Amino acid sequence: MSGLNVGNPSGVIRDGWSASVGDYAIAGGWILRGDALVIGDSAGSVYAFDGKSGANRWTDHEVHEGGLLAVAIHPGGTAFATAGQDGRALIWRAAEGQASQSIDVGNSWVENLAWSPDGRWLAVSCSRQVYVYTVDGTEVWRSDAHPSTVSAIAWSGAEELATACYGRVTFFDASTGEPHQKLEWQGSLVSMVLSPDGGIVACGSQDNSVHFWRRDTGKDSMMSGYPGKPSALAFDGTGTLLATGGGETVTVWSFRGQGPEGTRPGVLEYHVQPITTLSFAPGALWLASGGRDGAVVAWSLQHDGEGRSIGSGYLADVVSDVYWRPDGGALAALDAQGGVTVWRVKNW
Amino acid sequence: MISPQKVPVSILTGFLGSGKTTLLNRILTEEHGKRIAVIENEYGEVGIDQALVIDADEEIFEMSNGCICCTVRGDLIRVLSNLMKRRDKFDYVLVETTGLADPGPVAQTFFMDDEIRDEYALDGIVTLVDAAHIEQQLGRSDESTEQIAFADVLVLNKTDLVDDEVLDRLETRLREMNRMAKVVRSERAEVPVDTVLNLEAFDLDDVLERRPTFLEPEYPFEWTGVFTLDAGRYELSLADGPDPEMSLVVVPDQGTDDAALREGAEWCVRRYAETAEDLGPGEEVPVGKHVNLELDSTGRKSFFLEVGRQTRVGLFTQHTADEFDIQLRNADGETIAHEVERTWVAQHEHDDEVGSIAIEHEGDVDPDRLNMWLGELLRERGVDIFRMKGFISLAGESRRFVFQGVHMLFDGQPDREWGDDPRHNQLVFIGRNLDEQDMRQGFNACLV
Repeated sequence: MSGLNVGNPSGVIRDGWSASVGDYAIAGGWILRGDALVIGDSAGSVYAFDGKSGANRWTDHEVHEGGLLAVAIHPGGTAFATAGQDGRALIWRAAEGQASQSIDVGNSWVENLAWSPDGRWLAVSCSRQVYVYTVDGTEVWRSDAHPSTVSAIAWSGAEELATACYGRVTFFDASTGEPHQKLEWQGSLVSMVLSPDGGIVACGSQDNSVHFWRRDTGKDSMMSGYPGKPSALAFDGTGTLLATGGGETVTVWSFRGQGPEGTRPGVLEYHVQPITTLSFAPGALWLASGGRDGAVVAWSLQHDGEGRSIGSGYLADVVSDVYWRPDGGALAALDAQGGVTVWRVKNW
Repeated sequence: MISPQKVPVSILTGFLGSGKTTLLNRILTEEHGKRIAVIENEYGEVGIDQALVIDADEEIFEMSNGCICCTVRGDLIRVLSNLMKRRDKFDYVLVETTGLADPGPVAQTFFMDDEIRDEYALDGIVTLVDAAHIEQQLGRSDESTEQIAFADVLVLNKTDLVDDEVLDRLETRLREMNRMAKVVRSERAEVPVDTVLNLEAFDLDDVLERRPTFLEPEYPFEWTGVFTLDAGRYELSLADGPDPEMSLVVVPDQGTDDAALREGAEWCVRRYAETAEDLGPGEEVPVGKHVNLELDSTGRKSFFLEVGRQTRVGLFTQHTADEFDIQLRNADGETIAHEVERTWVAQHEHDDEVGSIAIEHEGDVDPDRLNMWLGELLRERGVDIFRMKGFISLAGESRRFVFQGVHMLFDGQPDREWGDDPRHNQLVFIGRNLDEQDMRQGFNACLV
């Protein structure tokens, strides 16, 4: 199925392995400290592959009826969570491939999952509500209904959860669910990312703009002029660079000094179709981008947001997501035909 | 890597109780071989197992720029984006809106969102109308008016609850509001599935095939009879009819072929624009003048027509001859048969704010001028233009340029070669309080 037209890695991206899952590869991540890769597909099946060889370690078919929608790896790497159209969230033991907890969240799709940075809590969104559970699946709290379906969730720290929906970003106390802060703006927020210190929240909006707020001052800014909706966003580990999709180019805003307001962003051109995913390598200003054109590109960036491509590889179809191995020595990429490709990354 | 074939999507709208869920179940039963995804916004009673039914709250997302044309349905974007990841498993998507939904944001979603536009094609908007209640609803809510204005198919449902006369009146009113739509009648949403699905509604050829009179001009008269008369005095006799008066123009030297009839009609339109002279029973009807026959007395009424030489005259009457049993008799009291007769698409009173404008013209259009005109029209009147579609003969282009639009959103591309077909332009606009004359002039100025 896949593994066919995959290839021609160049630059820092080197040959690795490829495998396939049964349907559109939706999401996944590295488990067991990079020893294995777990992938969920749109048929609702979950697969684990050996990180080095690509051999299938285990498969659990169609666990989420209707399709899988999200995967989140526990920070410890020994557990992960999956969610799907069946209204459930599952917590898995990574090594065994066993779902240890099954949570019936609601009657709607469960679309977002996020582990708190310390791994104590799992946040889940379903329709207009967000829920927080412990690792053993016990509900800690649930929010009131948001004004619209929750489109993204992210932890702004170990003690605080952020949610995005139409017109609003809300911050909740992690243990009580009390709302701390609401940042409002009339627009459909389709994506959200927080700077590592939680001080800046950036959202992509349906009206082809990126809106962000500095939480200490409450000051907000809008970056408009994208040709498409910026559904892919990524902050680097230092909180200096915000990489954004929203078209065929990657636009990188630098928060150095007084920026990014009034500054020119870095513009990274390579893809010939819109960007679908962006991910910074751990501990470096290396960025991976994936696009609808099937290309995966590695970029080396400067602190001002400018950068150059340092390697690329191709998948057989739209790139659905990319994941750096925790040590940065490999890059996993998923595609719409169910292809799973892992490339080694040189000089790491 | 855009999928070669877009998944068709039909939108079912209509007020609560109009029969949306019945129609939906009917489609699912009849199309049982296909994989259909249903996106519902009201907890209906879809009882078919094989369809994937997704309940989604209708989420209307307005943009910060305040433009109503940019307003989309956020829930549809989310759900359809996910469904397309299994697109090989779905043949069709049906979206059932809530009764009070404005169809604008639903339709706009298929233009505004790039990913949705790449993967899905809006096949058509099907609006169910409850024949027994629509007249009240039209008076009370903008939503029902807009649901009719946006439709590609109007299903006039529950026809068993009202009599034929009401149905005819209703259908006329609906057609008046939306001349682009096909109207089908049903009792319990029992319509053939192929009248509501796979319409490729934006194919105007199909619209024209369905109703060849679609773009015919409207006239202030409904009937013409042509009579060959010798010199003499004739009696025009009318029985009681539906109106206490009726307009008439007698055209001298009227030909009988279609071209001559149309020419006579055009000539009459100008006469009809002049103020009518009132005539009481027994008075003389002048030739070539717009007159108004007073018919408020009961029983047959007679008017007289003096002809100086042998000629053919055309009577262009406001109502059909049948309605008043119009008879022309010679001095001996013999009834003269008409040589030919024909009826015309009558102009109706525009009592609804929402109406349709159809422009048809031969010849080529200058692309720059068309761009300017349409751009300005949509900027200024986009809010009031619900739908538009048609095709254009662009100067220098060997293919037809087909277009469609919702509010200010416009989408067009060349389709087939003109080949030997006569090059011409057809445009239809459905909107609120549109100025027909202004739009016609605007378009005519774009012609090469």
